[in-house]
Amino acid sequence: MESGQFDTISVRTSDNVTLGYSIAGLGSRLVAQILDNLVAVPLALVAILLYGGVASAFVTSSEGAGFAGAGAGFFAAFVYFGYFFVAEAVTGGKTPGKSAMGLRVIRLDGSAADFGALAVRNVIRIVDVVVVLIGIVVMFFQPQTRRLGDLGAGTIVVRDRAMVTLASAVAPPPVILRTPDAGPAIDGLDRIGGFERDALRVFLSRQGLSPKLRADLAADIARRVLDRLQLPPGAPERFWPPELFIERVYLQLDQRHR
Amino acid sequence: MSLDAFIAERQGRWAALEAAIKTAKRGRLRNQSASDIERFGLLLRQASSDLAIARRDHPDAPITEYLNTLCARAHPLLYRGSPWRIGAVGPFFATALPRSFRAAWPYIVASLALMVIGFIAGWVAVDLRPDLRASLVPPSLFDEMARGQIGTGVQDAPFAAAFIIQNNIRVALICFAGGMLLGIPTALVLLTNGWMLGTVAAAVRLGGYDVQFWSLIVPHGVLELSVIVISGGTGLMLGDAILRPGQLRRGEALARVAVRAVLLVLGAASLLVIAGTLEAFVSPSALPDGAKLAIGAAVGVLLYSWLLLAGRSPRRRRSFQFDRPAETPA
Repeated sequence: MESGQFDTISVRTSDNVTLGYSIAGLGSRLVAQILDNLVAVPLALVAILLYGGVASAFVTSSEGAGFAGAGAGFFAAFVYFGYFFVAEAVTGGKTPGKSAMGLRVIRLDGSAADFGALAVRNVIRIVDVVVVLIGIVVMFFQPQTRRLGDLGAGTIVVRDRAMVTLASAVAPPPVILRTPDAGPAIDGLDRIGGFERDALRVFLSRQGLSPKLRADLAADIARRVLDRLQLPPGAPERFWPPELFIERVYLQLDQRHR
Repeated sequence: MSLDAFIAERQGRWAALEAAIKTAKRGRLRNQSASDIERFGLLLRQASSDLAIARRDHPDAPITEYLNTLCARAHPLLYRGSPWRIGAVGPFFATALPRSFRAAWPYIVASLALMVIGFIAGWVAVDLRPDLRASLVPPSLFDEMARGQIGTGVQDAPFAAAFIIQNNIRVALICFAGGMLLGIPTALVLLTNGWMLGTVAAAVRLGGYDVQFWSLIVPHGVLELSVIVISGGTGLMLGDAILRPGQLRRGEALARVAVRAVLLVLGAASLLVIAGTLEAFVSPSALPDGAKLAIGAAVGVLLYSWLLLAGRSPRRRRSFQFDRPAETPA
C-alpha cells in the first residue's frame, strides 16, 4: 500500500480508519543507536569522573577505594542505560538519535508509548546490549525489526517524518504536451466530469511508455471520450489523431476550469 | 468529487493539522489549551475521514500517502496512556505495588522455591564434602570471624553502601530482563544466590560462628533477599507469558504481563536503597548481635505487613439490617 518502499504495520483507529505506519529498518535503527551513543558514552565517562572525583576526596582506605571503583563502574552503566530511558520518557519516544533519523517509539495500537512500556523496553535493553548482539540478531530476524525490549513492551519503532509534503502532494504532476495549442472549440465538454479529466491528466503526465503502448492507450481513451461527448458522426474531432484530441480536450477543460 | 476539488476544499484543514502537530512539544499536547486540544481532535477526525475517502477514490494519488502520514503522526499525540506524574508515586507505593505483589504470588513463590533449592543444595554440598569448604567460602572470612574483626564496621561505609545498592539494583533488573530469555538467567541468578548463602551458612555452622554470621546477614538480608525474590518472580512472569500465552497471541500476552511486572520490579528495587544502607551501616556495626537480629525482624514485619495488607479493598461489614425485606418461601 502506501509508503511503498517500507514495510508497514496497520493500525485500526477508534474512527475505524486504518493507518499505515512505516516500520524503521535495521539500518536507520543502528544509525540512531550510534548517534545516541555519541551522547550516552561521554555522559557515562563524565559519570565515572565525577564519581571518582568525589571518591578520591573522601575515601580513606583501600577497601573503600575498591568499593568506590566498582561503584563508579555501576554508576556509569546506570547513566548509560538511564540516558535512553529518560530521553524516551521526556520526549515521548524519541531519543536525540531517533529524532535525528526521524524515528519514534509507539505502541502496537498506534498510541504513544507510555511510562510503563518505555520502562519495559529500556530495562530489557540490558539483555539486548549485554548478551552480545542478541538485540541485533533478533531485529534482523523479526519481521517488524523489533528487539527483545520492543517485544516485551509491545512497542515498535516507526518513521515519524513526513515523507510527502502537502505542497508536493497537492501539486499535480507536470503534464507533457506536444502541441500546447487548445485548437478549435469542442462541443459537449459539459459531459466530461472531474474523474475523466483526472484520467486524461494521468495519461498526459505519464512518461516512459513505449510509443506503441502510448498510441494504443491514446486510441482507447480517445474512443471513450468521443463516446461521452456524443459528437455527430461526421464531426471533425473524430478524425484528429488520438493524442492530439486528448491534449486539446484536456487544455479546453483546463481553461474552462479556471 | 474530482481530486482537485477534493484537495481544494479540504487542504486548509490538513495544513491546520500539520501546524498543530508542529506546535506539540515533546510528543504531547500538554502545553496546549483545552480548546486547542479539542480542535486537534476534530482536525484529526476530519483528516482520517478524508484519508478513508482518498483511499477509496484516489488510491494511488500522492495525497493519499500524505494523509496517511499526517494521521499517523497526529494519532499518537492524541491517543496515549495516562501520563506519568510525580503525584502518582505516593499511591503507587501505598496501594498499587502491594497489590501487584499479591497478584504475582505464584511467581514469587516459585522464585522463592528456586532460591531455597539453591540454598539447600549449597548446604548439603558443604555437609557432604566439608573438605571443599575452603573453595566455597573464602578462608579470610573465618580468619576475620576468629579474630573478632567482623562487627567492627566497614571503612568508607557510604561508598560501600553505594556499591551494594547499585550492585543489587543491577541484579534485580537482570532478574527481570532475563525473563525475555525464557527466565533462564533469572532462575540461574536465584539458584546461585541461594547456593552462595547455603554454602556459607553451612560452612559457618561447621566453624561454630552461627550467631555472628546471621547477625551480619539478617539486618539487611530480610529486605534484600525479599527484593531479589520479587525481582526473580517478575522475570518468571515474563518467561511464563512467553511459554504459555494462553488465549492471547504471544507478544500480546508478554506485553500485558511485562508492564505490570516492570512496575513491580522497579518499586521493589527502590527498597534496595534501604537494604544497602543497612548492609553498610548496621549489619557490620558494633551493635550487639541481638539488636541486629531484632532490627532484621522489625524490617521483615514492616515489609510483609505492607506487602500483604496495604491496598486491600475494605471488606464489606456484615451487619444486621432491620429494613431487610422478610424472605418469603417460594
